[in-house]
Amino acid sequence: MGYTLVICEKPDAAKQVSDALSGGTSGSILFEGTTVYRFRRGQEEFVVCSALGHVYGISDPLEERSVYPVFDVEWYSSDLVDEKSAGIARRIVAIKRLAAGASKFVNACDFDVEGETIGYNLLRYACGGREETALRAKFSTLTREDLVRAFNTLEAQAGQGLARAGRARHAIDFVWGVNLSRALSQSALGAGHRYRTVSVGRVQGPALGFLERREREIREFVPVPYWKVAGVFKRDGGSLTAAYSKEKVETKALAEKVRSDCLGKEAVATAVRKRVVQVGPPLPFNIGDLQKEAYRAFGYIPSRTLQIAERLYLCALISYPRTGSQRLPPSINYAAIIRGIGKIPEYSADATELLKGDLEPVQGPKADAAHPAIHPTGETPKRRLDASESAVFDLVVRRYLAAFGPSARREIADVSLAVQAHEFKIGGGRTIFSGWMRYYGRYSGYRDVELPPVSEGNRFLTSEVVVEEKFEQRPPRYNQSSLLEKMEREEIGTKATRAEIIATLVGRGYVSGESMEVTDLGLAVVETMARYAPSVIGTGLTRDIEGKLEGVEGGSVEEAALLRETVRTLAGQLAELSLNEEAVGREIDSAQMKTVAKSFVLGRCPACKNGELRVVRSRTTKKRFVGCSNYSSGCRASAPLPQRGTIRATTKACERCSWPIVYVIGSGRPWRLCVNPNCPGKRKP
Amino acid sequence: MKCPLCGRDAVSDLCVYHLEARDKVRAAYPLWVKAYGRIEWKDYLDNVKRNVQTGQWAKEIVEFLQGV
Repeated sequence: MGYTLVICEKPDAAKQVSDALSGGTSGSILFEGTTVYRFRRGQEEFVVCSALGHVYGISDPLEERSVYPVFDVEWYSSDLVDEKSAGIARRIVAIKRLAAGASKFVNACDFDVEGETIGYNLLRYACGGREETALRAKFSTLTREDLVRAFNTLEAQAGQGLARAGRARHAIDFVWGVNLSRALSQSALGAGHRYRTVSVGRVQGPALGFLERREREIREFVPVPYWKVAGVFKRDGGSLTAAYSKEKVETKALAEKVRSDCLGKEAVATAVRKRVVQVGPPLPFNIGDLQKEAYRAFGYIPSRTLQIAERLYLCALISYPRTGSQRLPPSINYAAIIRGIGKIPEYSADATELLKGDLEPVQGPKADAAHPAIHPTGETPKRRLDASESAVFDLVVRRYLAAFGPSARREIADVSLAVQAHEFKIGGGRTIFSGWMRYYGRYSGYRDVELPPVSEGNRFLTSEVVVEEKFEQRPPRYNQSSLLEKMEREEIGTKATRAEIIATLVGRGYVSGESMEVTDLGLAVVETMARYAPSVIGTGLTRDIEGKLEGVEGGSVEEAALLRETVRTLAGQLAELSLNEEAVGREIDSAQMKTVAKSFVLGRCPACKNGELRVVRSRTTKKRFVGCSNYSSGCRASAPLPQRGTIRATTKACERCSWPIVYVIGSGRPWRLCVNPNCPGKRKP
Repeated sequence: MKCPLCGRDAVSDLCVYHLEARDKVRAAYPLWVKAYGRIEWKDYLDNVKRNVQTGQWAKEIVEFLQGV
């Protein structure tokens, strides 16, 4: 009789599972260079090992990486697909040898599409075809209680649909990405001299399309004037300022007429309306909501928040973060979690208060069959959390506590002032019962704007009428958070992949800066696709495939049929690209050159006023420095630069000296630098 | 044929982006006339060019139109 081999997704999870099942008595051993845990639980002997994320990946069997189209794809161990994954081969060998001595197999990877795919592939390829017979441990937290329960109620065939959908998604995305990327990269290489990967993925294309459409709106924008009118009204030594009832006055003549009609005239408070509104607590977090809130509260980009949340999950401090659910089922044991949180001093008063009443959390509309909404586990941190981990942990804890809080009440007041035939308005609001806001603390975001005491019939003198010329604002650029929200709304990508796709858009040079300005390369990719392969950047096809992948998961769509359909669609688009390879190459290559050239420009030269300061590399020393494009005309403005890390332009000028500000991105935290070595801001007093 | 403003392939005399920008610059003029009661085309272009809200391609078109 052999042992039970448990396969986890990550090494940290394997340790948590072993500690939970063995009661902390399991010992780790190094087996074939891989850490595994061995222990007895009752009569059963367990060996717990782990993957390192995806240890198998999709690739094509061809050695030649420039050939397209490729439609025959297979699963390979990741070390053959990606040379950076060299350590994975050793891990697969270890798992193969462990599988040989096992009589029972348990898939304990995260219970979602990716985790199921990881577990399925290991059981199939490394464990000799055990994917159908292995048992499934399903859990949403890595706490001892949840893990023991999961292993006491192991299920058979629990995630087969998820695994089928996961494998289909990987295959489709690979075929999609590799063919279009090779088509574009090879076209550009044919036209230019330098190879650079130009990629377009199934979700990446439409996401870039959103950015491009917004970029066009911004760059083509022509502002139109309007006028804002406000009145200052005096009474009994006090005054109040109220805005004209029409927020935007379209003509200067009308704005001036309001002024001449009202100035020096009597104003009467015609209506004072006060009402109390209930403000319900915010919904429990799914991963998208957490990413948006962390961006709002701390400025963390979505991929960073996801990484932090995963670390907190692996420390058993929060539940599984890659969830779409906004619901907290009673099975998570609301009270036990709040009691656990209450052991942390900063939450103890709030926890005590909540435990006095009935615990009924607010529930959102979105559900996820695999996991509940993100919530704290009630465990206290066993190691010191870094600043970003503490911030996200605090946000998750406070959001969870707030979900149980009663609705807040706010008093909203509006006052209307009539002057001749014109109306002015003033509004305010204040919280009269904090309810859930007490628990959500500084994240609740409501401010009090008190109204001066005004009663109906009060009379004022219109002492001033301010007419201000304004212009329509151009639309804002997407940031990483608003793009994520747009992708969610358009139902493209998955909760697990959206942040990564946004990071790829930045990494490929399609967008630059925090405000995600689309580069010439990004514009050229969209323009090319729109001309030769329009469905690649539209949302319809991608959304259709997402729907069919759900069908694969549910068993109504066959995996192979979906792949065949994708290949058929793609083949037509690739043929069009191939026929126009020369034109495509010219456009992409020219845009690449412009994007690279622009990336060296840091800003306007403050010395000669009309040159540009650029990053230049010395021919003799090979060191980089800042120099002016007007050097040949005599401008000698220059400055040294750090020789390590990436220099990224910010388009911002230093407030002290007007020289450009850059970001220096190295192995540590990125830092801002005014490139002027003589900047007054750098001088010590 | 190339767009004289950015070097991209031109659709007629300009690239697709600058053509759209030109349409927008022309379409906004009647709105400015209505807003101020009266404004000459030349003054309108000067004002649009100076405005910080004006988009990059719209500004390039204004300069192009001013040079014609």
